[in-house]
Amino acid sequence: MTRYLIRRILASILVIIGVATLVFFLLRAVPGDPFAAMLAEVDPSVADELRRKFGMDQPVYVQYVLWMARLVQGDLGNSLYGSNVSVSRIIAEAIPRTLSLTFLSALVALAIALPAGILSALRKNTVVDHGFTFFAFLGLSMPDFWVGILLIIVFAVNLQWLPAIGYKPMSDGIWLWLRHLILPAIATGTAFSAIIARMTRSTMLEVLNADYIKVAHAKGLGQRQVVFRHALRNALIPVVTVMGIAFALLMSGTVIVENVFAIKGLGRVLIQGILNRDYPVVQGAILLVSTIFVLTNLLVDLLYTVIDPRIRYE
Amino acid sequence: MTDPANRDLMHQAQEEYRRAHDFDRRDPLFGLSKNDLSGPRLSRRTVMRLMAAAGTLTLAQVVAACAAPAAAPSGSTQSGEAAAPTTATGGELVAGWAGVAEIQTLDPAQINQVLQFQIASNVLSGLTHIDPSLTGQGDLAVDWNVSDDGLEWTFNLREGVTWHDGAPFSADDVVFTYNRSKDPAQSIHSAVIANILDCQKVDDLTVKLVLEAPQASLLTKTLERSSGRAMTIVSQKAIEELGLEQYGLTPVGTGPFRVTEHQLGQGVVIERFENYYDPERPKLDKVTFIPIPEPEPLAAAIEAGDIQLIGGNAPAAELIDRFLANPELVVSEVTGPGFQAIFINPWREPMMVTDFNKPLDELKAENGFKVRLALAKAFDRDTFIERALFGRGRPGFGTVNPAMGFFFDTTINEKSEQRFELEVAQQLLADAGFPGGEGFPTLKLLTTPPGRRAGEVIANMYQENLGITVELDIKDFTVLIEDGNSMNYDLMALGSGGDYDPDDALVDWMQTSSKFNGPNRDTDTMPFGFFSDAEVDALTDEQRTLADPEERRALVQQANQITSDKVAAIFTHHPTDILVYRTEVTFPDESRIPGLVDLDRTTISS
Repeated sequence: MTRYLIRRILASILVIIGVATLVFFLLRAVPGDPFAAMLAEVDPSVADELRRKFGMDQPVYVQYVLWMARLVQGDLGNSLYGSNVSVSRIIAEAIPRTLSLTFLSALVALAIALPAGILSALRKNTVVDHGFTFFAFLGLSMPDFWVGILLIIVFAVNLQWLPAIGYKPMSDGIWLWLRHLILPAIATGTAFSAIIARMTRSTMLEVLNADYIKVAHAKGLGQRQVVFRHALRNALIPVVTVMGIAFALLMSGTVIVENVFAIKGLGRVLIQGILNRDYPVVQGAILLVSTIFVLTNLLVDLLYTVIDPRIRYE
Repeated sequence: MTDPANRDLMHQAQEEYRRAHDFDRRDPLFGLSKNDLSGPRLSRRTVMRLMAAAGTLTLAQVVAACAAPAAAPSGSTQSGEAAAPTTATGGELVAGWAGVAEIQTLDPAQINQVLQFQIASNVLSGLTHIDPSLTGQGDLAVDWNVSDDGLEWTFNLREGVTWHDGAPFSADDVVFTYNRSKDPAQSIHSAVIANILDCQKVDDLTVKLVLEAPQASLLTKTLERSSGRAMTIVSQKAIEELGLEQYGLTPVGTGPFRVTEHQLGQGVVIERFENYYDPERPKLDKVTFIPIPEPEPLAAAIEAGDIQLIGGNAPAAELIDRFLANPELVVSEVTGPGFQAIFINPWREPMMVTDFNKPLDELKAENGFKVRLALAKAFDRDTFIERALFGRGRPGFGTVNPAMGFFFDTTINEKSEQRFELEVAQQLLADAGFPGGEGFPTLKLLTTPPGRRAGEVIANMYQENLGITVELDIKDFTVLIEDGNSMNYDLMALGSGGDYDPDDALVDWMQTSSKFNGPNRDTDTMPFGFFSDAEVDALTDEQRTLADPEERRALVQQANQITSDKVAAIFTHHPTDILVYRTEVTFPDESRIPGLVDLDRTTISS
């Protein structure tokens, strides 16, 4: 197990370095000049000064070596714009917002998906099943920004129960923090709940037909015990995989909902960086996102052993 | 204006306007006495004279000033119920900053967007600050006087002013700011103070500026705290203590509010500075600025009352009618300083023109020019403004905009070759070999994602009016500007804002060497960018050096007319400046300076 873990971690580091390198060169191959856009409003004679300042006058491979050298020391560089805020600061400020939103969205997704998936499987081909299927597809087909705007109109503008936009850190108060995140969490959570509910339903159905479930029933176990102790636990393995991917996607992919609710999370850092061609910011953010993906995958693989003790890594 | 009172007002305004322009052009003090030019407060007559000398005075501004000393600027329209007349102080205002994801910097040396200095103007001070009633006021300067040759200006600084960190303000700070701004490695605004040769400390509360040449716009533009940005006074101590990165986020100033929090992309919080030099201001305890990139959430937030005011970029045009219909909102609209245009690549068939220096009549015989002129004349500006901008804009025929006042030619819409004449346009296209658009290649219009709606209206208009197909080529601004700089487009929608001086319009855009005129093109195949005319180049160079505003105006208008007639671009419109707030907010006319959002006099009722 330890050897497996070491092997996986080393492989992960290689993957992350590979992604970082690819992003570094791809970014520079993409059309768009950060300085041309930045200097649209000021004197172009300042452009060369700025390029020198950020080392952009050097050949690309030299820039790469310098970037890697700084990276090893934990220095992600500085944004090319405004007051040249350090990338690590931008990311450090965004992470709590993204984590909060991801955590609550995952909670919303699970709270809807697990009961819906289990009930659909138990009441296969009944009105309940068809009803949940209908809502699952509805949830999947509604774009999250549209759900977000709809929620804002109903709960912020008309009912005035919750704020329409913004974010408050948990340090300002749990309720204030939660109030600002309820609507965005529902907007992102709904779409994921649809996927997870469908996944739970199909794996539950598969498991419920298995011989050991019949044995459990034959032993005279109650329905509740059969479903939760024997069926659900085995049905969860593919669901955990999907949840892992969903979690990683949420960490980086809530940009549209972040824009709608004016929350600057990791997704918006990334998109804003790409739109501005703010190379250091994009490189830093991608590095983090790829690390999250790789680590989540590793965690999911390790979780399998907890859920299903038959799984062993050598 | 038909009733006698209005007639009298008009006469008074015309007389004041005439008097403002009546002075000897060679006089370095513009016909004013040294006394007139000395601070702390300039009289209306003096300010009008200075604006006339700088060439920025309009009759409409004089009318507004005569009507009420503190009236809103000309062209202002407001809707919504009048706010309750309250003098309440205290309270918190939350402002949404439209169309932006983050306030990148508040350091004046790095500020390159209006939406940034709108906030900075509440935190930092300058030597002077102008208000909408045409009265220039000392900000950190308490009074000043000028030498007989108009080259030496001595400013007495306000006593007892403290920085937000408690340090005393002195002449050293002014000298430090000047030296910092003069250095292009530290400031992007070094060109603004090119005419100031030296800034000397006379004593702790006195500074002397030495100019290279007399300059009428010194007090109202160069030393102005917000738009000038080169002489917005910064604290050496705070920059050294905080470092540039932190100073850019939470600058220490001497203004009415101090920055207490700035989370990049999440918002800026400013709070009342208790030791501000005017004990009457600011009224509010706290203001929070939240960047809101998307239009619909912005509208929902102000309708729900989560935010009470919209600043930053202009809110999306489609929202304005909705705001006007809402009795809880006030919409204040004034003429904005900028232009928008569709640039036509002269190096691509069938719009090819390789020499714009020929007389207009000769150009008109060329097929490439016929196509350009046809495109310009088939552009129905009124319909475009109605459909694309929901009626919010003014037809444009050149880069010189109506906010430039004195320099703007109010008859250019009648004189320009670009005026809308559909049948003539169709005939021109037919003469160029494309009757009814037959055989005309599909053109691509390069634009940004926010320009999609306008782009679709344009494409539709050319299909309807000329039978030409225009496809949209939507790219992020960073890519668009690169394609623009290398002349890689058929048509490109682009324009400018914050243009207060003719140089912003002509030097930046219409000269062969202009910074936007295809600077990165392949010069072997394209000797110039989108436009090049030797006469325009010469007129533009000459107007910069003229002291006589009327002479300058003549040259500016002549150059502008040539660029319009020779279709340097299809000029579409001049945008408007819009401020939206809830009725519980009182935003006094005294603070309604186009392009700015000064909140020191703003109040909010609970």
